[in-house]
Formats: sequence, structure tokens, C-alpha cells
Amino acid sequence: MTVQDAEPPDLVTRCQAGDVDAFAELYARHSARIYALTTRMAGSPDTGADLLQEIFLQAYRKMGGFKGEAALGTWLYRLALNHCLDFVRSRQARMDKATAAIDDEARAPALMARREQPVERIDLERAVQQLPEGCRAVFVLHDVEGYEHREIAKMLGIAEGTSKSQVFKARMKLRALLT
Amino acid sequence: MSAPHPDGVTLNDVVDGLLSAVERDDIRRHLTGCDDCRSLVESLREVKSSAGALPPVQPPREAWDRIERRLRTEPSRRRVPQWAWLAAAASMLLVVFLGYRQMSILRRQTSIAQAAASTDQAENAATAQFVEAELRQAEDHYQKAIAAVEQQISTSDKASLDPQTAATLAKNLSVIDQAISESRAALRAQPTSEPAQASLLESFKAKIALLQDTVALINEMRKGPSAQQKGT
Repeated sequence: MTVQDAEPPDLVTRCQAGDVDAFAELYARHSARIYALTTRMAGSPDTGADLLQEIFLQAYRKMGGFKGEAALGTWLYRLALNHCLDFVRSRQARMDKATAAIDDEARAPALMARREQPVERIDLERAVQQLPEGCRAVFVLHDVEGYEHREIAKMLGIAEGTSKSQVFKARMKLRALLT
Repeated sequence: MSAPHPDGVTLNDVVDGLLSAVERDDIRRHLTGCDDCRSLVESLREVKSSAGALPPVQPPREAWDRIERRLRTEPSRRRVPQWAWLAAAASMLLVVFLGYRQMSILRRQTSIAQAAASTDQAENAATAQFVEAELRQAEDHYQKAIAAVEQQISTSDKASLDPQTAATLAKNLSVIDQAISESRAALRAQPTSEPAQASLLESFKAKIALLQDTVALINEMRKGPSAQQKGT
């Protein structure tokens, strides 16, 4: 099942009425995409699962506010993204500390041999988890979720240039981890 | 002397296509002759494309179990629209309000009967005619007001009233109409009876108030769902 599948017409109504079985259906349709986001943004499957739970509980409570102006999946994804951004912002101080360590690396990229094999998905997932928090969030938003630097800058309250340099740092780190 | 290597962020911009045409041409020339920088750009590009192709991840099975447990223990959140509560509250208020009015009207009916029995049949006819004329005038005034409000209701969306509220309103209107006809009957028997006159006028006022409440309720219900959404 993919998020592109059309929602059953009565799913929203049933969810808004507090029908837990309908909510289970909503979860089945969208949890994989949301969990991928939370796990990657948090850098930990356990924290990702905690965030996933918080997001779906929040969605259940806020379902009455869903006006149908966007697809339910889009509404849910925005809710999830905002929750992840709150999570990231709450760790801002730690993030600054963690990213400082690779500042020098960014200025003078190490020239290392390119790996011969294509990047395995599982290796990349693990490597993303090892990224410092600050550049991980920006990297996930840019390279995985497809947001532009100006959008990320707005979301995280950082300069556009910072977003660009964080993505570079993350790619360099991943390159090193995957070689 | 070979050209200096571009910095890492610039090479990263190559990957993201963020360079101007002039910058791009310069970098392209450099990359043509620099294996190290070309290799770096290619590996950065590979990281980017691999990340963009990462698929959704199924959460562990117990994740839903935890969520479901929480949902099942949440206080019942079956959504009753705010306007439905408003309607129910208005309906209750009307029942209480009209119950009070009905008791008042019935008390007056008793007084009317007693008054009719004790009033002198030879009361001055001229006075009676004057009082009747005054009363007719007042009644006309109320009837016009009632007609105006009823007209308002007929152009409103009565379907927005839930059946229970609509039934309560209809019942209350019927009680008031009954009081009006009883007051009229008492006045026909005793035109100068002040309790009967007061009862009739009181009933008209009650009818207008109820009809106005009905209009307000219809309006409230019509905007209720959207107002509710805005508030949540």
C-alpha cells in the first residue's frame, strides 16, 4: 500500500468520530512514511517509534480540525514534520555542539577513493543515524525529503547558507562512513 | 601551475545544480582535468541520489500496539459537533422557559374563569368596545411581528435543525397556540377581563420569543460546523 492510494471516502469521517479501527487503517496507510521520517530525523529507531506514537496520538486528537483542504496523508505528513521539527529544535544546543566538530572537514574535504559498489540502503540508513544531529536533520530534509535550502532555513530558523553547508557536511560524513 | 581545487561547498553546489552558468563552466573545466574533484563530486552525487531513493520504513509491530492501547484508554472522543450541544441546550432551555410560561398561562386561565364568573354582566358596553379595539390593535401588532419572524424562518434552512430540536420547537409552539386560543375564548366570554387580556398578550410575546429563538438556533446551526472547525 502506498500513500498515493486514494483514501476510502468515509475514512476521515470515521476517524473524526473516534473510530479506532478506522484510525488503524489510517496508520496502516501512512505509518511507514512517517516512521521513516521520524527515525531518520531522530537518528534512532527507538526515538523514531516514540515520535511516531506521539504523532499518531496527536493526529487522533486533532482529527476534528482536519478540514479536507489537503489530502489526509498530506495533513498527517505536515503534522509529523512539525513534530519532528519541534523535536530537532528542542535539541538545538546539542546540535550546535555536535556539528562544530566537522566544521574543518567541510572547509577542506578529504580526497578519498570512491567506493566501487553502489550504496546499500541498509548501510545508508545506519550511516544517517550516525550523523551529528544538526546536519542529519538538514540532510534528511534536503536529500531524503526533497526540501529546498530556503524552505529548510525557514523551518529550522537558520540561514540558507548554513543549510547548504550542513548538507555538505552530512554528505561528506556519509561518504566517509560508506567507503 | 594547475588551478586550485574549488572548495567543498562549491563542489557540493555542482551536485545540487546551484551554480550560475559562468561558475558551472569554470568548474566543468576544472573537473575535466582533476580526477580527485571529479571523484568527490560523483561520490557526493551518489550519496544524494541514494538518499533520495530511500524507501518508507515499516515501523515495528509493537508500535501500533502501543498506540492502540493509548487510543483505547483515551476518554471517549466521539465528536459531537458543538452546534449539536447548542441545539440540545437551547431545546432544554425552551422546555424550561415554556414550561414556566405554560404554568403562568394556566394560572391566568384559572383567574380568567374566576373573573368571568364574578364579573358583572351589565358592565358598560362602551368600555368593553374600547378595550376590545385596544386589544385588537395590540393583537394586530403581535400578529404582524409573528408573521415577519415566521417569514424569516420559512426562508431559512429549517433542515439544519436536528429532528429532536425541531420536534421540541413544534411542541412548544403548539402549547403557546393553545394558550392563545384559550385566551381568545375567555375574552369572547368576558371581553373586559384583564387577566384574559394579559394572558393573550403574554402568549403572543411568548410566541414571538420562541420564533426568534428558532431563527437564532437555525443560524447558529448553519454556521456551527465551520465555526467548530475554526475553533479546533
